[in-house]
Amino acid sequence: MEEDTGQLAPPRHGPRVRAPRDLAAGLLVAGIAAVALLATGDLDPGRLRAMGPGMLPRAIAAILGLAGLALIAAAFLKDGEPIGRWPLRGPVFISLAVVAFALTIRTVGLALAGPLVMLLGGAASPEVRWRELAIFAVVTTVACAGLFRFALGLPIPVLILPGFRL
Amino acid sequence: MSDLLSHLALGFSVAFTVQNLGLALVGCLIGTLVGVLPGVGPIATITMLLPITYGVEPTGAIILLAGIYYGAQYGGSTTAILVNIPGEVTAVVTTLDGHEMAKQGRAGAALGIAAIGSFFAGCVATLVVAALAAPLTRVALLFGPAEYFSLMLAGLAFAVVLARGSVPRALVMILLGLLLSTVGTDLETGAERMTFGWAPLADGIDFAVLAMGVFGFAEVLRNLDLTEQRDVVRRPIGRLLPTGEDLRRSALPIVRGSLLGAILGILPGNGAVLGPFASYTVEKRLARDPRRFGRGAIEGVAGPESANNAGAQTSFIPLLSLGIPPNAVMALMVGAMTIHGIVPGPLVMTRSPQLFWGVIASMWIGNLMLLVINLPLVGVWVRFLKVPYRLMFPAILVFSCIGIYSVNNSAADVLLTAGFALAGYAFVRLDLETAPLLLGFVLGRLMEENLRRALAISRGSAASFVQRPISAAFLALAAVVLVLAVLPAVRTRRKEVFVE
Amino acid sequence: MRTHRMTRTAARLAAPVLAALALAAAPARAAYPERPITMIVPFAAGGPTDVVARIVAEHMSRTLGQQVVIENVAGAGGTTGILRASQAAPDGYTIMMGHMGTHGAAPAVYPDLKYDPRKDFAPIGLAAGTPIVVVARKDFPAKDFKEFVAKVKADSEKLNEAHAGVGSVSFTTCSLFNSLLGAKPTRVVYRGTGPALNDLVAGQVDYMCDQIVNLVPQIQAGTIKAYAVALPERSPALPDVPTTKEGGLPEFQVTAWNAVFAPKGTPPAVVKRLSQALLAALDDAATRKRLLELGGDLSNTAARTPEGLQKLVESEVARWNKVLKATGAAK
Repeated sequence: MEEDTGQLAPPRHGPRVRAPRDLAAGLLVAGIAAVALLATGDLDPGRLRAMGPGMLPRAIAAILGLAGLALIAAAFLKDGEPIGRWPLRGPVFISLAVVAFALTIRTVGLALAGPLVMLLGGAASPEVRWRELAIFAVVTTVACAGLFRFALGLPIPVLILPGFRL
Repeated sequence: MSDLLSHLALGFSVAFTVQNLGLALVGCLIGTLVGVLPGVGPIATITMLLPITYGVEPTGAIILLAGIYYGAQYGGSTTAILVNIPGEVTAVVTTLDGHEMAKQGRAGAALGIAAIGSFFAGCVATLVVAALAAPLTRVALLFGPAEYFSLMLAGLAFAVVLARGSVPRALVMILLGLLLSTVGTDLETGAERMTFGWAPLADGIDFAVLAMGVFGFAEVLRNLDLTEQRDVVRRPIGRLLPTGEDLRRSALPIVRGSLLGAILGILPGNGAVLGPFASYTVEKRLARDPRRFGRGAIEGVAGPESANNAGAQTSFIPLLSLGIPPNAVMALMVGAMTIHGIVPGPLVMTRSPQLFWGVIASMWIGNLMLLVINLPLVGVWVRFLKVPYRLMFPAILVFSCIGIYSVNNSAADVLLTAGFALAGYAFVRLDLETAPLLLGFVLGRLMEENLRRALAISRGSAASFVQRPISAAFLALAAVVLVLAVLPAVRTRRKEVFVE
Repeated sequence: MRTHRMTRTAARLAAPVLAALALAAAPARAAYPERPITMIVPFAAGGPTDVVARIVAEHMSRTLGQQVVIENVAGAGGTTGILRASQAAPDGYTIMMGHMGTHGAAPAVYPDLKYDPRKDFAPIGLAAGTPIVVVARKDFPAKDFKEFVAKVKADSEKLNEAHAGVGSVSFTTCSLFNSLLGAKPTRVVYRGTGPALNDLVAGQVDYMCDQIVNLVPQIQAGTIKAYAVALPERSPALPDVPTTKEGGLPEFQVTAWNAVFAPKGTPPAVVKRLSQALLAALDDAATRKRLLELGGDLSNTAARTPEGLQKLVESEVARWNKVLKATGAAK
């Protein structure tokens, strides 16, 4: 967790970064555009009359890349916001929780996936109270199974064990 | 006129049976209850509830389904206002000011005005559908690929106006949305674009997946950061219903939104998605103090919500009169009707007038039910905000995962959502707004398809976009809106430059 | 590879056990099915295949005494859902509704297809097909199918044909139509046949081939013109529309068929039970009526058995491979 409040590395020579947040945004956008250009490199652009799969994505990626470069340039010309704090606890636990759900829903079922996503996700908050969360997770999972699987009859696996499916 | 009255009379005689009234009520109620779960948007709700309509006779089933549809729509708006999670494209606009109002303790007023606006819009749209369904069909047929392309371009111009922050950044995010919309198998050649060989990307990115990731989960993350602030704004619930002042401010936006939404909803190319955006743009333009928008302006909820509901209803016109579903939800409706042995098409109106007019009458009844159900429930929904956030967000997570999973019964979709959540977090940290991204994404696909179609039909001549009058008009509109949106930004920029 | 061998070993070990169980349970009838069966439909809810699946599944549930639950897994022209179903445990509790695309055209359209329609399934039987109709905008200058064919042959480069994307039924069947005529129209692509139909009604495009279910209301209302049904005999849903045979193009015969499959390795007893349940559904008067009302085609009785379906799959894979390779659509 960064306590950094501003500058990237202090510039030794050349122009000074005056808007680190713009610079980071520009780098991110330009990076995405570069990946897109690489990924669409082998697609046929076609002609106007019969546009190929590559024409539009490449055109958009090119404009996006230019926009990213403009943001980067602006970061050197104009004062702007610092990068700011990037607390990691939240994003790490939330994405872990969702990934855990994705991996368990079809292999074990909601009986595991439900509590897992709630407990792992709950850890994202510094205010987590484990016992309360555990009870709540069980209750919510039972309620979800009742509503979605049994009341609405959706094909969501509730519990899969060898030789047993619910 | 007398025709209209006798048709409506026939419709109401069908809809006002005890059984059909009951079905409309049940549909609205469960539609709202499932749709209000954060993370379960209208498409997920309707997918989930579709099978329960199979056991009912055709007219009743359609009425039940229409009830579910309205309920799901309203439920989606509720989560947009309360937890800032849009269940579908049209609710993105509602999050802008609706959630701001909720943060200021005015969630009740926002929910109330959404219900009232929707009811008014529903009344207008019912009349429009009843009176104009047949003649308007012909208007819809004037729209070819060139017209849709230009319309979508105008829609993108509206998107710039949504920006709360800087216009250049909004443009960047629209472009990013356009780029994301091209991911997946190319419809025309079957070539895989930017799928990196990963099969779940072959059909492109699902809107629900993207919206939940970059918007929904990112919102959860932002709330986790704002512990102290959040609890401060969370405490007061405020008046449950809109004040007289609120109603006065909202009256005209509701009327304008209803008309805009009703007109755009008629277009079979999913024009309804533009309704709320157009309404928001108009209200922001007309407002004496546009800076209030994005900071809890009630007009920014009233107008778009009315437009949304009006469009939701008039988008039945292409379905009932042409038999052509304009969007994913309506495609589900076609399936449901087909299962009941009614294939929607131009002849439904003359061959099964009872069904046709019964459904139209039940639209109005459905809207009335929504008002009746929801005004008392506003208090209940608002009370949800009292649930401590440390418990609320795990519940949001589990509902969202189930909702995303159910749309396609796909675990990969859930996985993808986690990835977008991280991206959304980075965007928020870098001041890159995600609402324009979502709009760019939705319009991008429609735009590319129509562009390619138009050029294929015109054999590569771009001139056809300006030669066709309707298309040219939309292009001009897009240019005007864009100039109006960008000019002030350019001007302030210049000032800043001069100050330096 | 290893998992394959393991499942095979497991299956070999399990076979006698199953046989013993079946013997033991003989008086009380085989235990299968003792819990609900999942039928994977590889398209979104509401499409023609989904509708056929739901109608058939309803009757099969009654025969089997267990609910047949529909699970829609859409994606990649249906191949996503079929791939998942083909990898499920071959215990009869996961079956699928395949169709002309997933079990016929797919190998030619998707070069990286991860299953083989001819080898990776235990066919149960054909359910119902929907005939293909050739339709054109209502002011198309041709009074019958013969004239239409002549016009397309002569002027194809000026014409616009609409289809619903590479791999869709409208795309594959019209590829066949065009290749029979040697026609090279501009092929305009839509996301789904609904929007394509819209532009046909509006006269933006000239013609398309599609399943009868989607077209009947428009044809009856006269907003589009139907030239021929690609069947050996006229369809009861459109008795006034001649067949392609009558119109002098007998080679153009296609049905968008839907058929039930189980994963490869499903025990023969289970296949038999499922096949009986399917046949019972197709012989049931009420079920037949519902399918026919939708313009369904139940004429191909030969492919209703597992063996007949296997033959159909093999001939379809060969046919589409040839057609699509020739048009350059296949890679």
